[in-house]
Amino acid sequence: MAAFKDAAQVQELFGELWTTMIRETDFGSKLREGGISILFEIREPEFTMYVDENGPCFGEEAKGKTPKVTLRMALNTAHQFWLDKLNIPKALALRHITAKGPVQTVLKLLPLLKPGQQMYPEYCKKFGLSME
Amino acid sequence: MDYFDANVHLTEEDLALKEAAHKFAKEVMRPIAKTLDEMTPEQAIAEGSPLWTFMRKAYEQGYHRILLPEHVGGMGLSPLQTAIILEELAWGSFGLSVELLVASFAALGAVYSNDDDLIQEFAIPFCECTDGSLRGCWGGTEPDHGSDFIAIGDPSFYSPAVRSQCRARRDGDEWVISGQKSSWVSGGTVSSHCLLHVQIDPSKGFSGCGVCIVPMDLPGVSKGKPLNKIGQRDLNQGEIFFDGVRIPARYMFVEPDFYEPILDMFLTNANLWMSMASTGLARAAFDEAFSYCKERVQGGRLLMEHPSIQQRIFTMFARVETCRALSRAVADLNMNLSPGFVEYSIAAKTTTTQLCLENAHDAIQLLGGNGLSREYPVEKFYRDARATLIEDGNNEILARHGGQVLFQTYPRNPAAL
Repeated sequence: MAAFKDAAQVQELFGELWTTMIRETDFGSKLREGGISILFEIREPEFTMYVDENGPCFGEEAKGKTPKVTLRMALNTAHQFWLDKLNIPKALALRHITAKGPVQTVLKLLPLLKPGQQMYPEYCKKFGLSME
Repeated sequence: MDYFDANVHLTEEDLALKEAAHKFAKEVMRPIAKTLDEMTPEQAIAEGSPLWTFMRKAYEQGYHRILLPEHVGGMGLSPLQTAIILEELAWGSFGLSVELLVASFAALGAVYSNDDDLIQEFAIPFCECTDGSLRGCWGGTEPDHGSDFIAIGDPSFYSPAVRSQCRARRDGDEWVISGQKSSWVSGGTVSSHCLLHVQIDPSKGFSGCGVCIVPMDLPGVSKGKPLNKIGQRDLNQGEIFFDGVRIPARYMFVEPDFYEPILDMFLTNANLWMSMASTGLARAAFDEAFSYCKERVQGGRLLMEHPSIQQRIFTMFARVETCRALSRAVADLNMNLSPGFVEYSIAAKTTTTQLCLENAHDAIQLLGGNGLSREYPVEKFYRDARATLIEDGNNEILARHGGQVLFQTYPRNPAAL
């Protein structure tokens, strides 16, 4: 579960984070321009979320979507990623993160997530999560 | 001769890219490659050489950006489009195609590092370059180490007894690099930047390497003579020497704790690109042989009217289609997975390079004495094709690695897709 209390907390945090990114940054418009949608398949515990220009959805609804890119990782890896403490090439090489979808889109996506990484520590404080 | 594409799903954009690349290959690459092939390696890189005309024209067309993603200024090609363009360019010249690919390797390394500073410093200027002045090279092999340098899984790869000839040590916020790379560094003596593999932890053998970007104008970098070789003479290759070269620590974006899987990712990509280019060379040999056999009269009739020739030409055609189908299929797999499955890229590389050599061999045989003459391009195709069996890992070492990966992973879990 990493720093999280339970799956509900994961959903609440990421629901807010994605929504804020789309409303307050150009993240949504860039997803639309690039035709990018992302499915996150999280392990330990299993958790699924999907985001596109319209916002996030979770669980069964997310599983029913057809994403451009699917990213798979453990929840703790995701937490480290959003804290910007993860060496992405290393995580990919060691298969701590795997991606399905055009490599060019994955490479384009990573910089788009940076505004979310800048916001994430605030959410960690709000939700009382460890930032280690 | 137009070569039919059996893919009925090509878009207008795919077809436009294909047509433009073929025109460039035919009108620019083929004649320049022939001229370079007949020059000495020194003449080929001298001021005024047609190599520079080629580089400038290729950069103006944006072909140096084939492998790079759109957000840094790359062409942002789909897997199929990458295969189409590389096939066409290699139809014009395999060697010049490799020259273009390695030119982008330092920039590509910056992109894969996901480091904003490296992207700003190396990838974006490279994509913006239109005069061919920014050129990368891939510094892997060493004078005493060829394909063993990439022999992942072999005991020697991890042996401290097998010492690299190019090493880096950390000194504060810098790495200090000393040693040399082999004569086989593609683009080595004409590069402005090097994507360099360098040993950091000798106790781990070659698995203790790292990967960094080295600007070639740093103090302590020097270049050797360009290599004189049998084939791909239009591709510059040559030694690079490092004498206490200091780079900022952030330029070393791969360190030993994940060097081995990163090397596997490099092989996955490089072997795939080799298979795309080999398809172009196999096709060039087929095209030349087919055209010749439709015009050349022997025994009172066209060569193509002889059943044995028809059979041989058909075999050559089937090889081209095999190369194309395999390289495109593996592109569709490994350009949609991160990380990809290396065994598929190795299968594509080892198969297509062998088939393109067989096509070049058959083309010489079909042209008879003319095939041995420099008046016809097929003898160059043969020399170029011969090099592909060794280039980017000799096929035997690669096949051993592929077999080991199969032993460890096959069948891959479909859920991993």
